[in-house]
Amino acid sequence: MNMTTYETSSRLRVLTRMGFWGNLIGGLLLPWAIMLVVEVAVHQVPFVRAWRSFTLHLFAPGYNFFLIGLLTAVPFVILAVLILLHLGTAPLQDPLIPRRRTLGLAGAGLGMLVLAGWTHLEVLLHPDAQGALAYLYLPVILLASMPIGYGLGRVIARTLLPRPSV
Amino acid sequence: MTGNTSSPTVLTPREIKLHLLGLILFIGLLCLWYWLSTGIRAVPTLIEMLQDDDPSTRIVAAEQLGQVGPAAQAAIPRLLAQATQDGSQHANTAAAALKSIDLTAARQVMAHFIPRLQNQDAQQRRTACAVLGSLGPVAKPAVPALLAVGHDPDELVRRNALMALASIGIPSPPIVAALLEGLRDSSSLVRQTAVTQFAFTVPLTQPVIAALTPLLSDSDRSMTTLARSALDKAKPDDAAQLESLGMMAQHSAARDYALHQLAQLGPAAGDALLPVLPLLQDDRPLVRYLAAEALGAMGPAAKPALRSLEQRREDSDPVVREAVAHAIAGIEAATATTAPSAKAPRP
Repeated sequence: MNMTTYETSSRLRVLTRMGFWGNLIGGLLLPWAIMLVVEVAVHQVPFVRAWRSFTLHLFAPGYNFFLIGLLTAVPFVILAVLILLHLGTAPLQDPLIPRRRTLGLAGAGLGMLVLAGWTHLEVLLHPDAQGALAYLYLPVILLASMPIGYGLGRVIARTLLPRPSV
Repeated sequence: MTGNTSSPTVLTPREIKLHLLGLILFIGLLCLWYWLSTGIRAVPTLIEMLQDDDPSTRIVAAEQLGQVGPAAQAAIPRLLAQATQDGSQHANTAAAALKSIDLTAARQVMAHFIPRLQNQDAQQRRTACAVLGSLGPVAKPAVPALLAVGHDPDELVRRNALMALASIGIPSPPIVAALLEGLRDSSSLVRQTAVTQFAFTVPLTQPVIAALTPLLSDSDRSMTTLARSALDKAKPDDAAQLESLGMMAQHSAARDYALHQLAQLGPAAGDALLPVLPLLQDDRPLVRYLAAEALGAMGPAAKPALRSLEQRREDSDPVVREAVAHAIAGIEAATATTAPSAKAPRP
C-alpha cells in the first residue's frame, strides 16, 4: 500500500467511524438540542431554566421528550448501520467505490437531517393539537427519504467523480 | 488497529463487529437510563422536586407521581400538604395525583375542601370546586355539597361546580339533572359549560338527548355546535359503544376511563359485566373502586357479581370496602324490587 492509498484509507476509516457514531448520537440529540435552542433563542428562557425544564419533561407523561428523541433516532440508527456495512465493507483497491458510497450516504444523512430539523422546528414554533402526530410520522418519512437522498448523492458523485476512461 | 493497513476494505470485519457491539451497548445504556428514571425508582427524585421553587416543576413532579400510582406512597404526606395548603397554586394537580396513589388520602383532600364550598370568599369556593373535580369519581361523597353550589350567585362557582360534577360523574342521575338545569342557567358561560360536559365527558341518556335536541336551533352558535357534538356521540343503547368500553376496560391505558363511563351508564352497562368482574382483583385501589362502582350501578344485571363482591368486603383499602358494601346493598335492593314483580303469583 503506497502512502496516498494509506492516507485515503485512513481518512475513510475515520469518516466511517465518525459517520456511524455521529448518526447514533446526533439522531438522538437533534430533537433535544432543537427544543433547548427554541426555548432559549425564541422563547427567551434563560438556559439554566430551559435545561431544568427539559430534564424534568424528559420522562414526564404527556411530554416524554425521551421517547421523541428515540423516535427520531431510529432512522439515524439504521443509517449508521448502513454506513458501517456499506461504507465499511467498500473495497480500498478501487478508491472511487468508497468515495461514491460516501457521497451517497452523505446525501441520505443530510436529507434526513434537514427533514428532521425542519419538522421539529415547525412543531415547536407552530404548536397545535395534532402537532405530536408529526413525531410519530417522522421516522417513517425519514426512512422513506433515505433512499432518495442516497440516490441523489450517488448522482452527484457520478458527476463529480467520473470513472477515469481507460 | 494496525491490522487495517493491509485490510482490503475500509473497516475490517472485526472492527465492524466491534462497532455493532458498541451500538448494542449504546441501546442498553439508553434502556438503563429509562429504567432508572421511571416507575418507583424515580419516586425519591420526584418527592424532592415537589419542594422546588418553580411551580411548573412541582406540577410535573406531582403528575409523574400520580402515574407511578400506589408505589409512590412515600409522596403522600407532601402531596397532601400541597393539596390542602392555603394559596397553593396547584392543589388540583396534587389532588389528582393522590387519587391514583391512595384513595384515603384523596378523601382527606375532599373532606378539607367540602366546607370551603360555603366559604364567603367566592375565590375559595371556585378553588374548592376545581380541586373536588380533580379528584374525579373518588369525590363521590362531595356530590350533594356540589349540587347545592349549583345555585351560587357567582357564575364561575356555578361553572366550576358543573365541571366538578361532570368529572365526578357518579351517582349519575342527580349529576345529569344538575347539568340539565345548567343548560337553562342565566349565564351563557354556565350554559356552555353544561353542554360541553355532555359533548365530551358525560355519557348520554334519553332525557339528555331530549333536552339537547332543541339546542340545535339555539341562537348561540357555540351552543348549537356543542349540542351537535354531544348528539353525534354514541347513544346509551349502542351495543358497539358498550362493547368498546368493555374492551377498553381490559387495557390498562384506558381502564380508568372505561370503568368511569360504565359506572355512569348504570343499568345500561349490564352487558359489560364480564370484563368488569376481574377488575375487582386489580392491584390498583382506584381500579377496584371504579369496578365496584360500575357493578353497583348496573343493578340487577350485576347479580352474578355478588359472590365476587362479597369476597372483596375485606379489601385492604377502606374506600374500596365502602364502595363494595354500597354496591352489594344496591344490587340486592334492585334485585329485590324486580324479583317480586317477576315472580308475582298469578291471580
